Amino acid sequence: MQYLLNGLPIGATYALIALGYSLIYASAGVLNWAQGDMAMLGAYLAYTLNRIVGLGFLPSMLAAMACAALVGTLVERGVLRPLRRRASPSINLIIATLGVAIIARNLALIVWGPDPQLFPSPVGSRTVSIGSLNLLPQDLLIVGVAIFLMLLLQYFLRFTREGKALRAVAQDRMAASLMGIVVERSDSVAFATSAALGAAAGILIAPLFFVTFNMGAVIGIKGFVAAVVGGLGNIPGAIAGGFVLGLTEAVAGGKISSGYRDAISFGVLILVLWLRPSGLFSRVNRAKV
Amino acid sequence: MLDRMRGLPWWKIAGLALVLLLPLAVSNRYYLHVLNLVGIYSLVVIGLNLLSGYTGQVSMGQAGFFGVGAYVSALLMMRLNVPFVVAVSAATLVSALCGVVIGIPAMRLSGPYLVMATVGFGEIMRLIMVNWVPVTMGAAGLTGIPLPSFLGMQISSERGFYYLICAVLYLATLEALRLSNSKVGRTFLAIREDDLAAGAMGVPTDRYKVAAFAISAAYAGIAGALYGSFAGVASPDNFTFDVSVLLLCMSVVGGNRTIYGALVGALALTVFSEALRFLQGYRLIVYGAILLATVIFMPQGLSGLAPAVAQVFRRMHFPGHKGQNGVAGDKGETCR
Amino acid sequence: MTLLRKISVFALVGILSLSMSGLYGCGGASQTKALKIGVAGPETGGSAQLGQAQHRAIQLACDEINAANAAGEWKLEPYFEDDESDPTKSASATNKLIQQSNVNVVIASINSSCTLADMVVTERAGIPQITAGSTGASITEQGDKWIFRTAVNDELQANALVDYAVKTLGIKKASTLTAADSYGQSGATLLKAAAEKAGLNLVVTATYNGGDKDFKPQLLSMKEKGTEAIFLWGIYTEAALIANQARTLGINGQLFGASGMAAAKLIELGQGAVEGMLLTQSFLPDSPDAKVKDFVVAYKQKYNEDPIPHAAQAYDSVYILADAVKRANSNAPQALRDAIMNTSGLQLVTGSPKFDEKGNDVGKSVLITKIEKGKFVLVTKVISGQ
Repeated sequence: MQYLLNGLPIGATYALIALGYSLIYASAGVLNWAQGDMAMLGAYLAYTLNRIVGLGFLPSMLAAMACAALVGTLVERGVLRPLRRRASPSINLIIATLGVAIIARNLALIVWGPDPQLFPSPVGSRTVSIGSLNLLPQDLLIVGVAIFLMLLLQYFLRFTREGKALRAVAQDRMAASLMGIVVERSDSVAFATSAALGAAAGILIAPLFFVTFNMGAVIGIKGFVAAVVGGLGNIPGAIAGGFVLGLTEAVAGGKISSGYRDAISFGVLILVLWLRPSGLFSRVNRAKV
Repeated sequence: MLDRMRGLPWWKIAGLALVLLLPLAVSNRYYLHVLNLVGIYSLVVIGLNLLSGYTGQVSMGQAGFFGVGAYVSALLMMRLNVPFVVAVSAATLVSALCGVVIGIPAMRLSGPYLVMATVGFGEIMRLIMVNWVPVTMGAAGLTGIPLPSFLGMQISSERGFYYLICAVLYLATLEALRLSNSKVGRTFLAIREDDLAAGAMGVPTDRYKVAAFAISAAYAGIAGALYGSFAGVASPDNFTFDVSVLLLCMSVVGGNRTIYGALVGALALTVFSEALRFLQGYRLIVYGAILLATVIFMPQGLSGLAPAVAQVFRRMHFPGHKGQNGVAGDKGETCR
Repeated sequence: MTLLRKISVFALVGILSLSMSGLYGCGGASQTKALKIGVAGPETGGSAQLGQAQHRAIQLACDEINAANAAGEWKLEPYFEDDESDPTKSASATNKLIQQSNVNVVIASINSSCTLADMVVTERAGIPQITAGSTGASITEQGDKWIFRTAVNDELQANALVDYAVKTLGIKKASTLTAADSYGQSGATLLKAAAEKAGLNLVVTATYNGGDKDFKPQLLSMKEKGTEAIFLWGIYTEAALIANQARTLGINGQLFGASGMAAAKLIELGQGAVEGMLLTQSFLPDSPDAKVKDFVVAYKQKYNEDPIPHAAQAYDSVYILADAVKRANSNAPQALRDAIMNTSGLQLVTGSPKFDEKGNDVGKSVLITKIEKGKFVLVTKVISGQ
């Protein structure tokens, strides 16, 4: 039971990153390889604001998320748009965001150095015991904030104009632009939102796992796996995928083998893809004739 | 043979001479070392171009096949005293088999799902290398891999490796060109352009996709076997996800729709990576920027510049003529 | 579009030519007697903190030695290359150092897989190589006569830790949690052998990948099997995380670690969770020993941070080289190599170096230290051979 409990905050984090991937893929049709590094950037920015400038946790977090959103928009404008204009094959887009990831990672290395930084939890680090199960308050914070953000995202997508525009573009890009929606703008919105979500994930896990310049690499891949498992482009699927992955890892790592833990995760992934090539939760794709 | 040579344009002959005489002119072993690395990477990337460029199956797991080739060849030579040529052939075969193994689940996938599956495969291979300690020696890897020896001679210098790698690369390139110009190559292109239509025309797309994986794995396998003897050591750290990404970058930057693109990409990225050392901490930032710039401004990769270069050339030599843009049959979209 | 293409062509050609010229490293001939030291280490990538510390320590040592003329008439010239923890790049870097910068000796590398790759290069070129950071056992088992290791001996550490656990603390059931890289795997093998010899029951032997953040699955299974102690083998980032998570899960057993993680950063990151942890190391920053004090002060003054053990080992390596070149009075490879082999009588930060015929430094001190009130405190010193 403790295994499952451990998997929850990890799962929530994966879910947030997965949401970022799915959001961008759904609306812009692009795989953003730098998604994990948004988490890293968010964590470093929040760390700097909180520890060095002295702002409180919440303002640091919000400011960092806003900065990340800005960076996301810049990436969209500077990288995605030129590529779209030249009708580049999708593989070029992947490499381009990869270039962004490399630059971001090494910039962080130069600015903040190679040592991991400590980010104290805003809710303290005394273990909470419920019966025989142990938790950290930070775990609860992660799950709580993550769920809150997911609900916020749903509200945004369903009830705001920008959100509805995003969904329209995701459904059919051409039709949306015919209806007067500026698709480039909604691309920017998608990138900005994903970056902010990623930053939030990074900030939430920073007190648990320290802030390092390459924390984005592993989180990025795991988040991507989660997004794919849930069906890339499928928002609720991303959330489900995140939790599924987190829980699977927690149980497999403890009960089966720690060395082959990641191999098991990938093996499961390949199995899932073989049986359901579009992910576990996606509706059957209408093939565009 | 001289008959064939008579018909060759002068620059091809010059190029051949340059390649053959290079090691005699270059005394700096470091440069030769870098060129040898370029040669080995080119082999892998040729396979990757066939898979991703021609057949449209993006793979981020080639390092896995690369590693299989290295380990199988090395282990056969060290544990069973298998001679070099046999070991390399066996390694290529095993690697191709692995290509089939990943090709089968992968044939139903496309886009990011396919990418994910290949990443997964690459990682699984690496984790086996790390954890199957009795066979693979775990994370420390294999050491003392024997140098290539066949027909009574042993290759131990950078120069020797240069000629060996050149020979293998030449044969591999010829084969790849032949393949890409054949029915198989055209089928690959058809699959890339429109999978569904190809299937509707009666093409067994699944079989060709698996074949593409197997072929690219074979290329990576032979490259891996060469690498093992070249470096003398092989460890899981040589075959990480980052290496797969690097190979994909070489493919795209060089131009993944042509075979020569593989060589161009491998050369460009390896040279950049080494030459930028003087930038110290900023090196990788510049490297990332170069990747970005290449991908944005040259969507067909560096080899896509070939028509433009040829045009500039033509204009310089024949000033009266108006250059012709995008003539069908020129280097670019067709199989080369 | 054509104009843009043309411009890009010329720009690319320009960049390529510039980078070609960049391939010419800084290797001019010096009039004074110069010992050129090539250094390859991970200055970027996952082990960046180790590689950068090595870089700084070597620079500090060279500056000190040159200023004090401690190498006789010889001046030390360090050349640094980044290997990104990638064995292929490490071999290229070593090649460049030897062929381009014409170094006389190489200090490389930190990751064992990189060191092994570099050894192929230095052996083919006939240049002595010192590794100040790699502890993998196979490094000195290759029959390579050019390699020297000043990193502290893993086997000694594993034995010391296990013996202490069994004999002094009376522990009967323990677990190991080791990194899945060459360092961690080496530790795992040695710990297992030591445990068998001492009659310690290892209930769980688990591993983790570098960069992993979550160790609760492994820790939970250890808790369920009733482990009294956990032996860790990796670097400090993961060790601090493991300690934190173990305490969160309610595991209060004794934690053990080795020199790879024994740095001030471990205490900074682990805080209360690492209190009471026992570690073996050869370098105690708070030691009253004059040599250690001077080094720590100098390092802190120049770089504004505490030195980690890798820094101390790299620093000592340079002093060994200075002494060797002074005695040999030549920077020829064979003479240097023999001089290094005959090193004796030096009192350095991490002990008094003495090399056996395989190139291992058997003069290193191994200390068992404990973290008490946020500082490393000496518990006992282990004499090699006991």
